[in-house]
Amino acid sequence: MNAPQIVTAPAAIHAEGLTKRYGEVLAVDGLTLEIPTGQFFGLLGPNGSGKTTTIHMLATLIQPNAGSAQVAGFDIGHNAVKAREAIGIVFQESALDRTLTVAENLRFAGLLQNLPLRTISERSRELLELFGLDQYRATPVAALSGGMRRALDIVRGVLHQPKVLFLDEPTIGLDISNRRRIWRFIERLRAHTSMTVLLTTHYLEEADSCDRVSFIRKGRLVESGAPRALVEDLGKHILEVESANIERLAEQLEPRLGAGLCDGDVAMFRWAEEDVTKLVKLQSELGMGIHSWKVRRPNLNDVFLWVAAGKGLRS
Amino acid sequence: MKLRPFYAVLERELVRMIRQRTRLVAAMVRPLIWLLVIGGGFNTVVGRAHGLDYKDFLVPGVLGMTTLFGAMLAALTTVYDKESGVMRMMIVAPLPHAWIVLAKIVSAALAAIVHALMLIVLLLLLGYFRSGTDWTLLASAVVAASFACAGIGMVTASFSRTLDNFAATMNFVIFPVFFLSGSLYPVRSLPVVLKRAAIINPYTYGVDFLKHAILPASVPTDFSVALDIAVLTGFSIMALVVASWRFSHESAYEPMIRVLAGKPG
Repeated sequence: MNAPQIVTAPAAIHAEGLTKRYGEVLAVDGLTLEIPTGQFFGLLGPNGSGKTTTIHMLATLIQPNAGSAQVAGFDIGHNAVKAREAIGIVFQESALDRTLTVAENLRFAGLLQNLPLRTISERSRELLELFGLDQYRATPVAALSGGMRRALDIVRGVLHQPKVLFLDEPTIGLDISNRRRIWRFIERLRAHTSMTVLLTTHYLEEADSCDRVSFIRKGRLVESGAPRALVEDLGKHILEVESANIERLAEQLEPRLGAGLCDGDVAMFRWAEEDVTKLVKLQSELGMGIHSWKVRRPNLNDVFLWVAAGKGLRS
Repeated sequence: MKLRPFYAVLERELVRMIRQRTRLVAAMVRPLIWLLVIGGGFNTVVGRAHGLDYKDFLVPGVLGMTTLFGAMLAALTTVYDKESGVMRMMIVAPLPHAWIVLAKIVSAALAAIVHALMLIVLLLLLGYFRSGTDWTLLASAVVAASFACAGIGMVTASFSRTLDNFAATMNFVIFPVFFLSGSLYPVRSLPVVLKRAAIINPYTYGVDFLKHAILPASVPTDFSVALDIAVLTGFSIMALVVASWRFSHESAYEPMIRVLAGKPG
């Protein structure tokens, strides 16, 4: 059982130097990525950083200007149709026919995937039950709520049991309870299958459950790792101070704490030690003019902010 | 060859056709208005030629009109598909993208054929097609004209980004194609400029083919059946190639690309 594994399973996604340019804009810049089979991978970054373009290239929907990639072992350029067979994708925008009912949409999507009708109806029943949509089979999609429509979109994306699932901001535009519902569905789905999942999101708490995340900024991968390791790399604590004259306060703090992040009246600094007595001392030293002084544990949101600001994680 | 995806596109077209009753009713009312009102009106002015009333002369023209509008409107729903996300469903399917374009052309042609059959039944009830109709030739003419019209529609759809262009498409594509054909008058008696326009218009050959099938042999037509078939087939194939080329080069994410290009970083 503990014998060393000699045969390495082929990566679910392997990309090398993937580049996409739209006129003057370099949307994705030489992106190299390796995602092992079965991994739950998060691609994180601010809006316009190239997440969606990356997904669309990997899903063979747009062609890269340079670089290459294989998905489930198939080249996205030469073998696009084979690659698409292995791919499921849930777009940011809905990919459903609003004029058809729930069942008709799945029938249409399933037939497009070349599935036999019996398989379509069996899997539809199973998945609609899993996603709590079974009583809406005959409802037109136009009459569904936003959350239900997104759930149906996911059902549509996994109907053909893809090896690799792309989820592009699956919870964007949904309220908190619907976001939780969608996450419960995705977790159930992952428990049922061994799909590799590539997720993009900017709700960072959602990426906590990923096996690995990469941060993308201006089309380039800047940091990768397990969420917990990335958070630990950032430091033991985050100091969050608020002051009317934040610039002056930051100037006083930076020589002792290193570069911080300023946003409005708030500045954040990292603290690498477990012991915070020095920070307490510092507070009483500076005292005047500080509205709030908070020391807390870092999370993935902080990693995101640091990465988005273009600052390295390691002190 | 994967036939299920092909069937999926056809089935969706038929389901939508049955649901959109008003589209279906309009498709029947439009040619009947032309035939009974315009045809009836001009009948008294134009009089008889080659032993034929103007109204009878107009029958192939209005049948052609049904296939033209039926196929064009069905093909133009591709623009709606692009906007609504249905196109996303289709482009992620494991098929060559030309296969989707072919399926859309066939389904648009199918819509036109169904409309034409319904109109033929109505016209039979109204007492048209009394004599001289070659039914085999009529069936071939309806099919060939429908495919050519679906081709015109798909090429137009592949060049239009949004549904806003719809009115423009009606004015600058459907109407000229209809008026600059032999639908309302024989091509041979047109002034030179209009005649040239009619000769380049592939739809003219569809109407001519319908005339061969419907009108008595004593009525002169503009081209031979062989030429009609050759032009209609050739044009349909060319339209498939052009539309496929357009769809594989213009991604379905055009709007997103514009957003990205507008907001760098």
